[in-house]
Amino acid sequence: MWKSIVYKEWLKTRWFAIIYLLLSILAIANLFLKVQHDLTFNEAQKYWYMVVFQNLKYFKHGFFIVLPLLGALTIAVAQYFPETVSKRIKLSYHLPLNENKMLLTMMLYGTICILIISVVTFLLFVGLSFIWFPAEIVTGAAITIAPYFLSGFAVYFLTALMVLEPVWKYRFLYLIVAAIFVPVYFTRVVIGGYLPALPLLTVFTVILSISLLFSGYRFRKGEM
Amino acid sequence: MNAIECKNLTHYYGKKLVYEHLNFNVKEGSILGLLGKNGAGKTTTINILNGFLQPRSGQCLIYGENTQQLSPENKARIGFLIEGHIQYAFMNIHQIERFYSGFYKKWNNEPYWELMAKLKVTPTQKISTMSCGQRSQVALGLILAQDPDLLILDDFSMGLDPGYRRLFIDYLREYAKAKNKTIFTTSHIIQDMERLIDDVLIMDYNRVLAQRDVNEFINEFKQFYFELENLDIDLSNENFVANFEKVHDKVELYTYESEDFVQHYLAANGIAYKNFQKVDMGLEDAFIGLTGKY
Amino acid sequence: MIIAIVGFSIALPRLYRMAFDKPVRAPFIQYSCIEKNFLIIRRSADGIKRETPQGKAFTRDEYEAALPFMYARQLLMDGTMPDSVNGVAIDVHECNNYRSSFRLKPKMIHAPQPVLFPMFESESGRARLELPKDYFRISWRMEFIDAKTNKVNEEKSRLFSAALYHCGFQFPARSIDGLPTTRKSCDEGYIVTDNKNQIFHLKMVKGEPFVNKVNIPSDMTFKTIQCVDNKDKLYYAFLVSSDNNLYVLTQDDYKLVKLEVNDINPDKYEIRIYGDFFNFNVITTGDNFTRSQILNREYKKVDEYSETWTPLEDSREGKIAQVLFPAQLAMTNSDSGYVNFFVSRSKSFGCLLLSLALVVLQFFIIRKRKNKVNHILDFCLVAFTGIFGFIAVNIFPNKFWD
Repeated sequence: MWKSIVYKEWLKTRWFAIIYLLLSILAIANLFLKVQHDLTFNEAQKYWYMVVFQNLKYFKHGFFIVLPLLGALTIAVAQYFPETVSKRIKLSYHLPLNENKMLLTMMLYGTICILIISVVTFLLFVGLSFIWFPAEIVTGAAITIAPYFLSGFAVYFLTALMVLEPVWKYRFLYLIVAAIFVPVYFTRVVIGGYLPALPLLTVFTVILSISLLFSGYRFRKGEM
Repeated sequence: MNAIECKNLTHYYGKKLVYEHLNFNVKEGSILGLLGKNGAGKTTTINILNGFLQPRSGQCLIYGENTQQLSPENKARIGFLIEGHIQYAFMNIHQIERFYSGFYKKWNNEPYWELMAKLKVTPTQKISTMSCGQRSQVALGLILAQDPDLLILDDFSMGLDPGYRRLFIDYLREYAKAKNKTIFTTSHIIQDMERLIDDVLIMDYNRVLAQRDVNEFINEFKQFYFELENLDIDLSNENFVANFEKVHDKVELYTYESEDFVQHYLAANGIAYKNFQKVDMGLEDAFIGLTGKY
Repeated sequence: MIIAIVGFSIALPRLYRMAFDKPVRAPFIQYSCIEKNFLIIRRSADGIKRETPQGKAFTRDEYEAALPFMYARQLLMDGTMPDSVNGVAIDVHECNNYRSSFRLKPKMIHAPQPVLFPMFESESGRARLELPKDYFRISWRMEFIDAKTNKVNEEKSRLFSAALYHCGFQFPARSIDGLPTTRKSCDEGYIVTDNKNQIFHLKMVKGEPFVNKVNIPSDMTFKTIQCVDNKDKLYYAFLVSSDNNLYVLTQDDYKLVKLEVNDINPDKYEIRIYGDFFNFNVITTGDNFTRSQILNREYKKVDEYSETWTPLEDSREGKIAQVLFPAQLAMTNSDSGYVNFFVSRSKSFGCLLLSLALVVLQFFIIRKRKNKVNHILDFCLVAFTGIFGFIAVNIFPNKFWD
C-alpha cells in the first residue's frame, strides 16, 4: 500500500528530482573548477591565507548557496501542487489508509529525496575539497554550508504547509512566518561560526516536518 | 442493516443555513438518488459522508462508523466518485491502475480494462489530455475495479454523452443488484436517475421535500391540469397543494391527494374550471413540479 | 507554531531596535604626563568636547599639547613639540619607539580560532617577510602541509615535532597565538599552549626549529594570549589569566611580569592598551562603564579613573523593550563571533503585566467561539511568551481540539 503512495509521489517529482541532482553536481563541478583555477593563478599559500585568515568563502560561487533552497522548493511544489488543483487530495484521503499516516508518507518521501540529494552533494563537496585543502579548512567550510542544506528541508516543510492550506488568508500568514524564519539559516558570519547554533537549528527544522498535518486536518474539517 | 445513517444533520455556511435536522437512511443493497437544485446542499452532504466536512451538528454513520473518523477497513468498502470525475491527471491509464490496485485487496481489473479497451487512447497518454467523457470512463472503471460495497457517486453523468450514460446506468444497476451493492448518487440528469434508483431524496433550500421509494413517489405525486375561469384564484397556500403554477388561465396543480379530492375541493369552493385532466409525469416532471421552475 | 514564536522573538526586537536604537559613544580617556591628569574626549551629536574629569575644558590645540607623544606628528608640524617633558630630554625618534597600541574585543576571542598557521623564517636575511609555502598544525604531532600539493611534509614535520617533544610539549596544542601576517617588523614565531597548559615559544630559525619553554606557575591558565609587534621590543605578548590579571611575557628572558591592574576581563570588556615614553594606559570598556588604569614603565599603577553611563537596557527605549518583549532572541551577538540563539530575558515585571493583558485580549477574541476550554493551551502560550505567542496564536487557527 505504501509502495503505491511512493509510486505516485515519484511519478509527480521524478523529473524535478533528477534535474535538481544534476544541477547540484554541475554546481559543484563548476565550483571546484573555479577553485582550481584560482589556486593556480594565485599562489596556493596566498589562497590558503585568504581562506584561513581573511574569511574567504571559496564555495560562494555561482548559485551553490541557494541551490538547496530552490531545489527543495521545486520538489515541494511539484509534489503538493497537483494535489490541491481541484482538491485532488480528496482522492488520497479517501484511500483505505489513515490520513495522517498518508500525509506523513508523502512528506517522508520528499524529505528522503531531498536528503539523498543533499547527502550526495555534501559528500561530493567535502570529498573534492579534501583534494585541495586540509582538514581544518574543509571542516570550516562544511560547518558553513550545513545551514544552507538545512534551509532546504525547512523550505520543503513550510511549502508543503502553505500549499496544502485551503484558506488563502492563512497561506499568506504562513508565508510571513516563513519569511521571518528562513533568514535565520543565512546569517552572515565568519567561516565556522555557525557551529553552536547548528544543533538547535536542526531541532527546529525537524519540528517543522510535521507541520503539514495541520493543513491536512483543517482541510478535512471543511475549511474553505 | 443500514449502509448509511444520517441523524439530525445541521449545517451552515457562515450564517447561511444549508439545512437542519436532516435524517435519512440507505439500506444495504438499495440505491438512493439525492436530487436538488444547485445550492440545495447536495455537495455538502457528499462532503460530510466522505469526511471532508464537519457538520455544525448531527452525525453520519457509514457501516456503523462516524464518517468523520472512518477506519481504513471501512474506507476500502467505499467507492467515491468526485464531481467532475476528478482523478490524478498526471498519470496515464496504466499508471493509475497500478497506483490504485496497491490499496485494495479485492482489486479486479477485468472490468477496468474492458472499459479501457473501448477508449481510444494511446497507452502512455496522460489523463489530463483526455476528453471529459474519456476521463469519466476511467474514473468509473477504477471504481468498478475496486469492487466496493458502497458507491458514493457525485454527479456521475456529468460530461457523458447519452449513449454512455445509458450504458453506465444499465450496467450499474445490474452490477449493484447482482452483487447486493449499495449506491448513493446525485445527478443533474433526472431521467437517468429514474432508471437507476430505488429511493429518492429530494432537497430544496433548507428542507427535505420528499424521501421515499421512487415508484411510490411517482405514483402518488400527481399533476392536474385545468383551466380557470376566474383568473384571480391562487391556491398555492392550501395545504394539500405542493405546487401551483399558473400561466394566464392555465393551471398546473401538484399534489399528493387524489383526483377526486381535488375536484371535490374545487367544487366545494365554487371554483369554476374546465379541461380538467391528470397529467402523467416522469421523475423529472415530478421533480420540477415539487421544486418549482425557477 | 513554535517556529513562529521563535521567528517573531527574533524579528520583532530587531525591528524595534532598528527603529529606536541610539548609538552609545563611550568617552575616550587618555592620560597626560604633563598635566598628570586624565583627559577625556566626549563625542556626541553636539560635537566634540575635551575636558578633564574635574570639568576643565581644553581646546584642540591645548589638548594635543598636553599629549605630546600621542600627537607628536601634529606638534612637529606646528613646530610646538617640546624638547623635554618632565625634565627628561626627548629625542623624537626614540620616543616613537616607545609608542604602542593594542586592542582586544570579546568578539575576537569568542569566535572560531584559526588552527592552521604559516611558519615564517625568522632570520631570512631579507628585508621583507615572505609567506611560506606551507602551513602547520599541532595536533597529535606538528605537521606542515604544503599548500600547493595539500600533502604533509614528513621530514619537516618530524623535525619540529621532535623539537617540541624534547622540550616536554604535551600534544595536542590547546592554542597557538601569534601574528600570522607579513606586515610586521620581524617574526617572533608563535606562543603555543600545550595540552597541560604549559607555554612554549616556537619559531623557525634558518630552517631549524627553535623551542623554548616558558616557566609559569603550574596552576596558571590563561584566557587569552595576544602577541604584539611593538617597536620597543620589550615583550612578546600580553597574557590575560583566568583570574582576570594582565601579564606581559618579556622578550628573550621569558619572564612573566604582572601589570598592576585588575579586573581585566577579555570575555566581557573591550581592552585597549596604549603605551608611550612614560606610561601605559590600560582601558577597559564595558556596557555601561569605561575605566582607565595608568601604569608607569615599570608596570606599577600610578593613577586610575572610570566613568559610567546608563546602558542600553536601562535607557527609556530599553525599558520599553523590556516590557514589550519577555525575551529577545538574536542570532548574533556583539560579544561573540559565533551564530547561536542568543537569549536575553527581560528583567522587568512590566512584561508580565503585558502578558496578562494579552491573555485577556485573546479571551475577548475567542469569546464568540464555542469550546473555550480547549483554548487553555493557547492561553498558556500567550502567558509565557507574551506578544510573540499572541501573534502566533492568532495566525495559526486552533482547530485541533474542536
